[in-house]
Amino acid sequence: MSTAAVKNFPVVSGSSAASSSLPAGSPGAGRKGRTPLSVVRSMPRKRRAPFVVLCFALLAVALIAVLVLNISVSTAQYQLVELRARQSTLTKQNQDLTQQVQNFEAPQNLAAKAKDLGMVASTVKGQIDLSTLSVTGKATPAVKGGSEGAVIPAPAVAGQLLVVPPATKGEPLESRKPVEAAAPAAQTPAADAPAGQAQEQTQAPAAPPAPSAPPVELHGGTVPVPQQKVPGQ
Amino acid sequence: MAQRTGKPADKVPNATRRLRLGLGIMLTLLLVVGGKLFLVQGLDVGGMAAAALDKRMTETVLPAERGSILDSNGTVLANSVIRYNVVVDQRVNTKTETFKRLDEANEKLVDVSRDQGLTELAAALGMDKDAIREAVTGERPYYIVAKDVKPDVEDRISKLQIPGIVTEGVSKRVYPNGSVAGGIIGFLKDGSTGQAGIEQTQDELLRGKDGKRLFEIGADGLRIPVGMDELTPPQDGKDIKLTINSDLQYFAQQAIQSQSDKLGAEWGSIIVMDAKTGDLVAMADTNAPDPNDPGRVAAKDRGVRAVTAAYEPGSVQKMMTVAALIEEGKASPLDTFTLGPSYTVDGQTFSDSFAHGTEERTLAGILGYSMNTGTVMAGQRLSKQQRYEWLQKFGIGEAPDIGLPAEASGILTPWEQWDGRQEYTVLFGQGVSQSTLQTVRAFQSIANNGVMLQPRLIDSYVSPDGAEEKVPAAPPRQIVSEDTAEQVQDILESAVTEGQIKDAGIDGYRVGAKTGTSESPCDDGAGYCGYTASLVGMAPMDDPRFIVEVVLQRPKGSIYGITNGPVFRSVMSQALRTYNVQPSTGEPARLPQFAK
Repeated sequence: MSTAAVKNFPVVSGSSAASSSLPAGSPGAGRKGRTPLSVVRSMPRKRRAPFVVLCFALLAVALIAVLVLNISVSTAQYQLVELRARQSTLTKQNQDLTQQVQNFEAPQNLAAKAKDLGMVASTVKGQIDLSTLSVTGKATPAVKGGSEGAVIPAPAVAGQLLVVPPATKGEPLESRKPVEAAAPAAQTPAADAPAGQAQEQTQAPAAPPAPSAPPVELHGGTVPVPQQKVPGQ
Repeated sequence: MAQRTGKPADKVPNATRRLRLGLGIMLTLLLVVGGKLFLVQGLDVGGMAAAALDKRMTETVLPAERGSILDSNGTVLANSVIRYNVVVDQRVNTKTETFKRLDEANEKLVDVSRDQGLTELAAALGMDKDAIREAVTGERPYYIVAKDVKPDVEDRISKLQIPGIVTEGVSKRVYPNGSVAGGIIGFLKDGSTGQAGIEQTQDELLRGKDGKRLFEIGADGLRIPVGMDELTPPQDGKDIKLTINSDLQYFAQQAIQSQSDKLGAEWGSIIVMDAKTGDLVAMADTNAPDPNDPGRVAAKDRGVRAVTAAYEPGSVQKMMTVAALIEEGKASPLDTFTLGPSYTVDGQTFSDSFAHGTEERTLAGILGYSMNTGTVMAGQRLSKQQRYEWLQKFGIGEAPDIGLPAEASGILTPWEQWDGRQEYTVLFGQGVSQSTLQTVRAFQSIANNGVMLQPRLIDSYVSPDGAEEKVPAAPPRQIVSEDTAEQVQDILESAVTEGQIKDAGIDGYRVGAKTGTSESPCDDGAGYCGYTASLVGMAPMDDPRFIVEVVLQRPKGSIYGITNGPVFRSVMSQALRTYNVQPSTGEPARLPQFAK
């Protein structure tokens, strides 16, 4: 049986056929009897109030949620900016410290510092072979005051302090006190000697040397030398 | 229409008409509004949305970080750091006599006079106050007050909140080791483009690729979180790891500088090469530039002479003649030659650097005493073409490729064009020119049992993610047989134990070496101006690990009194100790220099 045939075929079988035919038989009588009853219309009217309240409540909640979300997003944005700034500060600090280490590690600086501490390069070395207990080479002690040969200049990295300062300067770390040095520089700007500032241009913090007494100069050693005291102390 | 024609009696159709009319009007209005909406939102006729977006949209370039240059131990030889330029808008600063600043301690605004602000700025920058005042006064909208200021100083300057003063971040190239390997590393032109050395040849890889970020930003300067955010991340440049050992490089540089200063030479250079791998451990030059400030040395000193300077090598070439003779089966180390005070062949007379009578010499003795007469006599056994081909095999005339600019290939004239004297002089290293690295490469093939490895300077490329990509070694070449290489090694060692180069010996290690002295043609090409003195050697001879060559150009004083032995010795022993090479075992070769 084709689908067209099914559509044209009258529906007669089952209980559905019987029930559908019943209201069709008496339409006018049923409608007239029920018209005055308005119960059906009042039913949704009673339910509408709580529904509207619910709607408004939902709206309010949604609005508040959006507000809270917005606030938290923008707060997070501020936080993000702040953290970024901190990250960049730390990166810069790290870079600066790494550079200082690299400056100290440069071979010519290391050699100059060693020489400053009174070390001399050994020239002739001997070897001991532990497996055969044989000694090869004639190790001779290094001679102090011998010619050290040519001096390779220190790296000309701008802003790095000299590892071995010229004879007129003391301990190289003396001038490197960025935190304490910054405060007096800002508070007593008038007292600063411009010439002194210009001299220390290569060293990052502009430290006014006059007011604060320099720390005890150890010249790289660990025992303070008594006569190194500054007259003002 | 309906209102005019309609009568009060027919209200129902009138109402319908009005309704329809109203509906029509409303629909028309709706259409107009909708149309406008469509025009504005859909088509954006006036370009409003685009203009607004354009105003919010900000593009920032995310600069790629230039890669570092490292030595073989990972010591940083070149890297980039953040620096700041302090810039002033003079118009703003000049007319602002007082400005407000937040006092962080009391949390209130305080008035600061311009004068005081400038005093504080001068203190922070470490500049003269008058100079600062001059710099910030005027009509220019952009003027650089200070360059390359460090981050901590920049931080303090920003906190001063001086009107018109802003700081701009710039990337600055820093070379922490200064002139140690300065010529090899090279330097940058205007802070971005490589101008010399590795910085120049590897510029593309080091540079990387800039990225950018497109985002919408509000009037308060904060990014709009829900707006568009398009990020093209920058691709940082690759790090380049060299085979150089910076400690040894310093040692060699200091040694050659001392030697050159002592003897008043024009320049000198030292190469230390690992014979097993071809890695260049040190390439030292006199007056090496400090890449932080390359202008301090003369322009001619800014390159790497070990690869750029080709010169006549002199007697070091005799090693190649002897190796060719042995490999071709034309001579053996103990063959005897009878040598008079001078030797004449084809009307060309050759003499030695020292006076002697008629002597019975072995081939080893000819090399040990660096005799030109003997070398010509023995080298005659090779045809001209053979001499040419053997020099070519040892890499003469072929530039090594180690990634430095202006690598010299030297001059090896084809044998057909040799004149009557040149055909003999090439046997002892005159009439042919080569760079120091080419000499070292030839000796490396002997040290490595006849196998020539191409020299390496760039060890690997390190990607920003840390992946290390080794530069593959060029295919090795067998130049001479292992047996020949060993015989030549014995001859070189005998030159130290029995011959003239005794001061190259190192206690505890067996050393083989050869000196070279050649006349150096004047720069203007007329005649000769001084000499080139060199010494190339290898150690330990039981299993050669390092080749060291010391070259000194035009030292002052008598050339016969000059020796590079002590320099060679100190650099070689430093290399051996740095790399923990075991002292030699076995008996040193002592080939007789004279025939009994």
